[in-house]
Amino acid sequence: MSLGLVNAELFKVRTTSIWWILGIVLVPLYAASVLANWATFATTDPATTEGASDVQAEQVQAALEPVNVATTMYTSGQYFGILIVVLLAAIIVTSEFFHLTATTTFLTTPRRESVILAKFGAAIVVGLIVWLLTTVINLIVVPPIMSNLDVPTQLGSADVWRAIGLNALAFVLWAILGVGVGVLIRSQIAATLVLAISYVVGSAALQLVFFLLSQWVAEWINKLQVLVPTTASQLMISGTDLPGNPPRWVGAAVLIGYAAITGIIGTLITKRRDIS
Amino acid sequence: MSTDEIVVEHLTKQYKRLRAVDDLSFSVRTGRVTGFLGPNGAGKTTTLRMLLGLVTPTSGQATFGGTKYVDLHDPLKHVGAVLEASSAHRGRTGRNHLRMICRAAGLPDSRADEVLTIVGLTPAANRKFKGYSLGMRQRLGIAAALLGDPRVLILDEPANGLDPEGIRWMRDLLKALASEGRTVLVSSHLLGEMQLLADDVVIVAAGKLIRQGPVDEVLGTMGTGAHVRVRTPQAAELKAALSELNATATEQSDGSLMVVGAEAAAIGHAAFTASVELHELATERGDLEQVFLQLTAGKAGIR
Ligand SMILES: Nc1ncnc2c1ncn2[C@@H]1O[C@H](COP(=O)(O)OP(=O)(O)OP(=O)(O)O)[C@@H](O)[C@H]1O
Ligand SMILES: [Mg+2]
Repeated sequence: MSLGLVNAELFKVRTTSIWWILGIVLVPLYAASVLANWATFATTDPATTEGASDVQAEQVQAALEPVNVATTMYTSGQYFGILIVVLLAAIIVTSEFFHLTATTTFLTTPRRESVILAKFGAAIVVGLIVWLLTTVINLIVVPPIMSNLDVPTQLGSADVWRAIGLNALAFVLWAILGVGVGVLIRSQIAATLVLAISYVVGSAALQLVFFLLSQWVAEWINKLQVLVPTTASQLMISGTDLPGNPPRWVGAAVLIGYAAITGIIGTLITKRRDIS
Repeated sequence: MSTDEIVVEHLTKQYKRLRAVDDLSFSVRTGRVTGFLGPNGAGKTTTLRMLLGLVTPTSGQATFGGTKYVDLHDPLKHVGAVLEASSAHRGRTGRNHLRMICRAAGLPDSRADEVLTIVGLTPAANRKFKGYSLGMRQRLGIAAALLGDPRVLILDEPANGLDPEGIRWMRDLLKALASEGRTVLVSSHLLGEMQLLADDVVIVAAGKLIRQGPVDEVLGTMGTGAHVRVRTPQAAELKAALSELNATATEQSDGSLMVVGAEAAAIGHAAFTASVELHELATERGDLEQVFLQLTAGKAGIR
């Protein structure tokens, strides 16, 4: 991957208004996420699990263990941060066609795979920047919240730092996924809509589908839920292995698989397509 | 063969139902301006895009000094291009548009300001592209093509949207670039402009080559080569004098005579010795527009 080309791609992002528009959108969403996490842990009472199945009760218990509270709190903002990153990653590709700059780009760098690779690189950098910003703010605001919840801050816990690291991996993988989708769906409006809708509504809808299938067809289908990308990344960053869920590495593998597939197919398509 | 010569060999592009470019072969010489002419839909833009590796040919190839565009090491330092349906991001300034290309091409940022000066866009450099007029957009495209100080320039309808002064500016620029030994290929519909600008022409219609060669030669073979326009109150006497020079004079509807077969100097001398009074004596080049329309007759039209 040519660093000069990655630099050029980042320059493109920097010289239009899209980055700060999405940045401004992210601020209230991030604040809301921190507050929502706080509220969840402040109000959930382990005693109210009566009537739930054993596995569900166990999950709630596990989620309320201090280490899992910590991993969730220190990765606050992942949901919306990744949404913004995945949209920006797709726009890095689609804006070339939307604004008719693809001709200039491919005249400058006729080896198209180098351009796409640079776009992956730039999207990863953007993802890591958003991850870094949310993580730094989390490290500042979460400790006081933890003491309010009567749990130790646990900044010395390896589990917490592993969750923060895996959170970075989630941002990176979703950034790759966004570029891949942008290449597959060249229309800016279609690509961003498909990503936003499937990210926000799609995972809930798919969870419902999986639930119904597991009820009516076979129980084991429920285990395939991890194939839903949002579920996979949730699973990947959970503090410890939660009962009844596949191990964390499965979540990572699923996301890497999606990122690789969209990335490779997208690059092949871009190499073949006429630019006119 | 010069290393900057463009050679197009049996280039063909088949779209689903339409053969946009059909077994097209021609070459473009260095140090000259070559006009690439053809009616709407003739396949000019498609040909230029295939030349530049943007559209994949169905068959055939195009090379710059023997190398395909995608195989050129520093393409922008070799070839600069202005294409139709190419633009800049609406929200990016002209200077940043050029800097973005510099970074991807490994050129210093200072080149952006240099080419802005060349095309006269410096005052608008920090304005966003969406605020540019058509002519300013065209100039920005030309600036981008000049960034790498290329040996070869390819321009698709560069005069679109330029005012008369802009067109003259571009003509002078392209002529100057060609006189420095660069290769310049320009597509256009403005045949009058092409006649002033081009040294060679390549004429295509319906995807096929119709004629290629130096402008004068193409005009000559069509019987509209150089001729001399003469105005005199003594037409009969002048005709008699000219017949001794083996030149023929035909009466035009505006009352002037069109003389073929003799230079202006010889005609003037003949008139002087025959004591014929002259009101006008002017050498005229053939008319590219007429020749173009004749050559492409029946082949024009949207396909
Ligand atoms: N992507 C495409 N798919 C299908 N047909 C196409 C495509 N691009 C061009 N064509 C067709 O190919 C033919 C040649 O088009 P092209 O743009 O090369 O013509 P042109 O000589 O540049 O015309 P103009 O002078 O109007 O710019 C046209 O009939 C056009 O409709
Ligand atoms: Mg055209």
